[in-house]
Amino acid sequence: MEKELSSKESLTLITEMISRAKRETAGDGGFQMLLWGWVIAVCNFGHFTLDKVGYEHPYYIWFLVAPAAVISFWKGFQIAKTARVKSHISEVINQVWITVFVGIIITLAFMPVIGYNQNPIILILAGIGIFTTGALIRVNFVRAGGVLLMIAAVIGFMLPVPAQYLLSGIAMVLGYLLPGYYLKENCRGRV
Amino acid sequence: MFKPLDPLLHSQLRLAVMSLLISVESAEFTFLREKTESTAGNLSVQLDKLEKAGYIEIEKSFKGKRPLTTCKVTSTGLKAFEEYVDNLKQYIE
Repeated sequence: MEKELSSKESLTLITEMISRAKRETAGDGGFQMLLWGWVIAVCNFGHFTLDKVGYEHPYYIWFLVAPAAVISFWKGFQIAKTARVKSHISEVINQVWITVFVGIIITLAFMPVIGYNQNPIILILAGIGIFTTGALIRVNFVRAGGVLLMIAAVIGFMLPVPAQYLLSGIAMVLGYLLPGYYLKENCRGRV
Repeated sequence: MFKPLDPLLHSQLRLAVMSLLISVESAEFTFLREKTESTAGNLSVQLDKLEKAGYIEIEKSFKGKRPLTTCKVTSTGLKAFEEYVDNLKQYIE
């Protein structure tokens, strides 16, 4: 037997169901943001430090990206496998970050062409990703992280290449990791 | 003159399902059952009605060895839902 609905009950039901759907988490509570934030920050600081102490191959630190990529794909696959619902926002956020990732790969492939000024360009790409994520989930703190990364990119272009690593490390902590921890604390599981 | 409300949507469980589905890209049967607090049998019947009306698409597949039913709202369903909400406003205003 179906219950007869009044107009107000219909509206209340619609609102309640939309809100329940929104609460469903399809994300990882900021796991990817924290993973990549830490790895890239450590690589940047590591590269800068190794270069300063005169180590011949400071770029070896970037090999850390390989296990991080494996963990990132494995975790993403696990989440996709267990998610019972796909949300529009999660889908768009995934697409944005895949685009940012491709942009970073292209930039890295042409490092000699751009005179090894890849760091500020990567900051711009990460800034686009963070700002768009913040706009989609309507969290101004995250959006501000995107703005900070963009400002860091401008400063980066005015610095010599070795100093860009230090700047990028600081920018990753402030513009990427801080918003990541903010999302984790606020249980924004959709990101 | 009040426009009549779509009888297919003006039912507690079907309206709940449609409200959930318009908020997401797609949702599994278990998600819909849990959020609507309905029984599997009743939900299946109502989903079937919505599918026959062309309001939703139902895809049956497997997740490992378990059967998996995924539902998604269609453009016809979205239009019908929007019209339902517009008509509902007239009754409330």
